Amino acid sequence: MRLAFFAVLPGVLALWPIPTTLTTGTSILVLSSTFTITVNVPNAPQDLLDAVSRTKTYLATDNLQRLVVDRGASDAASFKASPALASLTITLQNTTSVLPIATEAVKDFSSRIEGYTLAIPNTGAPAVLSANSTLGLFRGLTTFAQLWYTWNGTVYSNVAPVNIVKDSPAYPYRGFMLDTSRNFFPVTDIKRTLDAMSWVKLNQFHWHITDSQSFPLSLPDFPELAQKGAYSVTQVYSPSDVQDIVSYAAARGIDVLMEIDTPGHTAIIAASHPEHIACSQSSPWTTFANEPPAGQLRLATPATVNFTTGLITAAAKVLPGKYFSTGGDELNTACYTQDAKTQADLKSSGQTLEKALNSFTQATHGALAKLGKNPVVWEEMVLEHTLMLSNNTVVMVWISSMNAASVASKNFRIVHAPSDYFYLDCGAGEWIGKNPTGNSWCDPFKTWQHAYTFNPLANISSSQAHLVLGGQQLLWAEQSDSSNLDSIVWPRAAISAEVFWSAKQPNGKALDGTEAQARLHDVRFRMVQRGVKAIALQPQWCALRPGLCNLDS
Amino acid sequence: MQVRLSLLLALFPSALALWPQPTSINTGKTALKLAHGFDIKLSVPNAPSDLKDAVSRAKGFLKTDALAALVIDRGASAAGALKSAKSLPSLTVEFAAKNGKVKSISEEAIAPIGTRDEGYTLSVPADGSPAVLKANSTLGLFRGLQTFGQIWFDFSGTTYTLEAPIQISDKPAYPYRGFMLDTARNFYPVADIKRTLDAMSWVKINTLHWHVVDSQSFPLQIPGFEKLSKNGAYNPSAVYTPKDVKDIVSYAAARGIDVIPEIDTPGHTSVISKSFPEHIACAEAKPWASFANEPPAGQLRLASAATTKFTASLLKAAAGLFPGQFFSTGGDEINANCYTQDKQTQSDLSASGKTFAQALDSFTQASHAALRSAGKSAVVWEVLTPLHTEMVLDNPVTLANDTVVMVWISSEHVQAVAQSGHRLVHAASDYFYLDCGHGGWVGAFPTGNSWCDPFKTWQHAYVFDPVANLTAAQASLVLGGQSLLWSEQSSPANLDATVWPRAASTAELFWSGPGGDVQKALSRLHEVVYRFRQRGVAANSLQPEWCVLRPGDCDLTA
Repeated sequence: MRLAFFAVLPGVLALWPIPTTLTTGTSILVLSSTFTITVNVPNAPQDLLDAVSRTKTYLATDNLQRLVVDRGASDAASFKASPALASLTITLQNTTSVLPIATEAVKDFSSRIEGYTLAIPNTGAPAVLSANSTLGLFRGLTTFAQLWYTWNGTVYSNVAPVNIVKDSPAYPYRGFMLDTSRNFFPVTDIKRTLDAMSWVKLNQFHWHITDSQSFPLSLPDFPELAQKGAYSVTQVYSPSDVQDIVSYAAARGIDVLMEIDTPGHTAIIAASHPEHIACSQSSPWTTFANEPPAGQLRLATPATVNFTTGLITAAAKVLPGKYFSTGGDELNTACYTQDAKTQADLKSSGQTLEKALNSFTQATHGALAKLGKNPVVWEEMVLEHTLMLSNNTVVMVWISSMNAASVASKNFRIVHAPSDYFYLDCGAGEWIGKNPTGNSWCDPFKTWQHAYTFNPLANISSSQAHLVLGGQQLLWAEQSDSSNLDSIVWPRAAISAEVFWSAKQPNGKALDGTEAQARLHDVRFRMVQRGVKAIALQPQWCALRPGLCNLDS
Repeated sequence: MQVRLSLLLALFPSALALWPQPTSINTGKTALKLAHGFDIKLSVPNAPSDLKDAVSRAKGFLKTDALAALVIDRGASAAGALKSAKSLPSLTVEFAAKNGKVKSISEEAIAPIGTRDEGYTLSVPADGSPAVLKANSTLGLFRGLQTFGQIWFDFSGTTYTLEAPIQISDKPAYPYRGFMLDTARNFYPVADIKRTLDAMSWVKINTLHWHVVDSQSFPLQIPGFEKLSKNGAYNPSAVYTPKDVKDIVSYAAARGIDVIPEIDTPGHTSVISKSFPEHIACAEAKPWASFANEPPAGQLRLASAATTKFTASLLKAAAGLFPGQFFSTGGDEINANCYTQDKQTQSDLSASGKTFAQALDSFTQASHAALRSAGKSAVVWEVLTPLHTEMVLDNPVTLANDTVVMVWISSEHVQAVAQSGHRLVHAASDYFYLDCGHGGWVGAFPTGNSWCDPFKTWQHAYVFDPVANLTAAQASLVLGGQSLLWSEQSSPANLDATVWPRAASTAELFWSGPGGDVQKALSRLHEVVYRFRQRGVAANSLQPEWCVLRPGDCDLTA
């Protein structure tokens, strides 16, 4: 009777993203005070051992009470009589080559193995996590750590036994983009964000590292760019900072996709290389750029093409990932029309602007190809321009979700990053000065509920479905910095994590925001316990009473 | 050409970045630095300890703000001028009222509105002679200390201004400059409230409107009514004990801030049913949308004599925790259907022969009489005035002349409230609600947006006209205004970033008066953001830092 009662309570399970398959029970299982994680992996790599150690720390320190009215007080009566889990054994199935998580994480999409199986008996017998890669084991550890609550010092699960026969991602690309140019974010902010990303199995950090406003990336081959283009000497990512971030990410199953946006969004390069920038800080900026300051690389100038390929090579060569973004959004033609130098260069080469853009892009993408990297571009590069891009180019759809089908029809791989679903900055009002009636250009605010309804395959035929790599939510930082990073990103960025990992519920039904809400509250409250200031989604009254704040309840 | 000109201008800020802008200010072009042994000297007979503490904090900020000027080189080009600059040895803080009685800031801060003297004059000579701050009250001296603290930048350990001499004469345009915090939808620890009070005091906000309880939780522990918080707080640690309240109230008063508590009645009281089910109609009734504007439903049984008595004594007991003149009994969003369907309310109405409107009137009279007996004046939301639009009343509620009405539904209701003859506080959702624009929070509603979309930008609030459509006589009823944070989607996680610097926009509107220019204000407001951060308040970025360091270059028409 009691068990049946528990079973119908919504929100008793708080896994995020929800696994591919899942069966749970209704027993209380206490985590033994001597609980250990046994690593059954030959020559276990250090980053796996570190991940195990972090998992044990979370179990000890999460100290999260269940999100029910009594916060778990009524569970306590069962603790004494309940079995205790003494250990979790983690086993690598395929031991022919045991690679670090960091190595697995940066493999090309098709070779990343993220799946795992997890069984937690309700008898007190050891739990077992197994996978075919250390990356899969890492994902499973993340799942394991979401199952536990704390009441009065006792760590327990209320849904034993738990059986996840299979959990693996629906899409290989599940990302989050951060713009560190409009405003700067210290390394500690990025690391905290990477931790939070890993908790919900996001695996791509798209680092929009530079833009027109500042150039915080310090490159040994081009030190002047950051010296003149960073906001200050302390607002710089040194080569060792970049390596620190890349390895921190990789150890958490996250590949870093760096972007140096070209040829637009480069005004700040004029601070060190004025010869390469057209319409640098031209006024009125509205004629020459989508936001101030104006300035674009002189794409028709051979010296600028050389400079750009050198720059992209310098940035890309120290990154382990297989992808690098050359941007390509919001190219402003008036800027080039009014630039005497560009006009002269076009005339002398006999090229149109479009042809020059093609040559410029061929050059930058050729430089990436030499490094064994695939290019990533924003959608305009295929939808608004006629360029010869290689088949392995990945296209990010940002202007509108409606444009994904057009990109697919051109047979390019797609990452969904549409402003109408996934832009986390929308809805915070106008930031341009002297415009008191201005609102956010991409109003309204993109709620988690709205993002959760995103269909990755909308208007995409089954023969094109393989082109969809996944998707990501994005934080453009005109109105963000350390002050609001956590609260504007979390828990909303967890939405794409579930949309692109789970894609559907374990019972085969479509994802349903009404079902998801209680689990998302859990994500939020657990993040807060772990030091990430995720925002409240509802009054706490609602968080403790799943469903009672629904529109129709 | 254009580029070079804007760079040049950006190296030298055109005006002192004070916020709110003083009534009158004259500045020069001379560099002046704080002497190493800079001191603030009190020339106040029997200086009260809260003034001494304020001086000590002001000295602390001068040392720790370490704010570099918001120009491209962050002040480096001033280094040469600073070498030969005169040093300011001291600031003399002088109580100027001849034969005036020296009261503490805390006493002055909670004096009846309209009697508070917040004005001051400040003189910072360029020649190295002492600066002088004068006021006729310790509260005025406190305001002047905040201004003095905003004058200075840091470059390489030197604290300086480039705009000496400075002459300021300053006083507020409106006596009420507030910020409202809802601590019921989600809870805020005392430390968050204190940090917010500090930030408020830096921009001369003088009222914390504390919407302490609501339908979702009852964190206020009230002597004699402990059951309410015991059963109604989110958890035993999410409670404001009388000691916490005293701590908050005195912390506020020492910073020139009066606290107006609100116990919203008769609606917004669902959680009282956890302790006193007999007093709540339609407690958690479903569907909630038929009984309340948001879940959970539940309202005080205003037609019940026992409930009326309960409410009056609850208010009186709560009022005893707060020293200020005002106490809000709320009164917004009364749901008629809840009472129509409540048998007890219907039988009480029938027994007394009262209409619903008469019952609401009696209920309100009883609540307000209880407050009056505790020496308080009532504050209500606009719906309890005759104009109101949410319910059709046969008879308007009778409100005493000293009642203050907060206009929240729409700024368009201001004129009608003024016509009722009551003093009013601007709190309009279409200008001052800080929660708007963050999407719907109600569950199972993926297409839901914020009911008060769009987001209220600082610019939008800044151009509000407090006396629009009012006659001169009506304009005199305007006490001021406030920004408000309803906390359905807020908690300590985002408190600072959601509130600041937007609440400062309203602070300037009501201190300096309307008519400010958003274009000129922006660079000063950036400085509020950057100084707040230096002081540990995580204010939100308004623009890319590129724009912050180049005033005007990110304007729409730049």
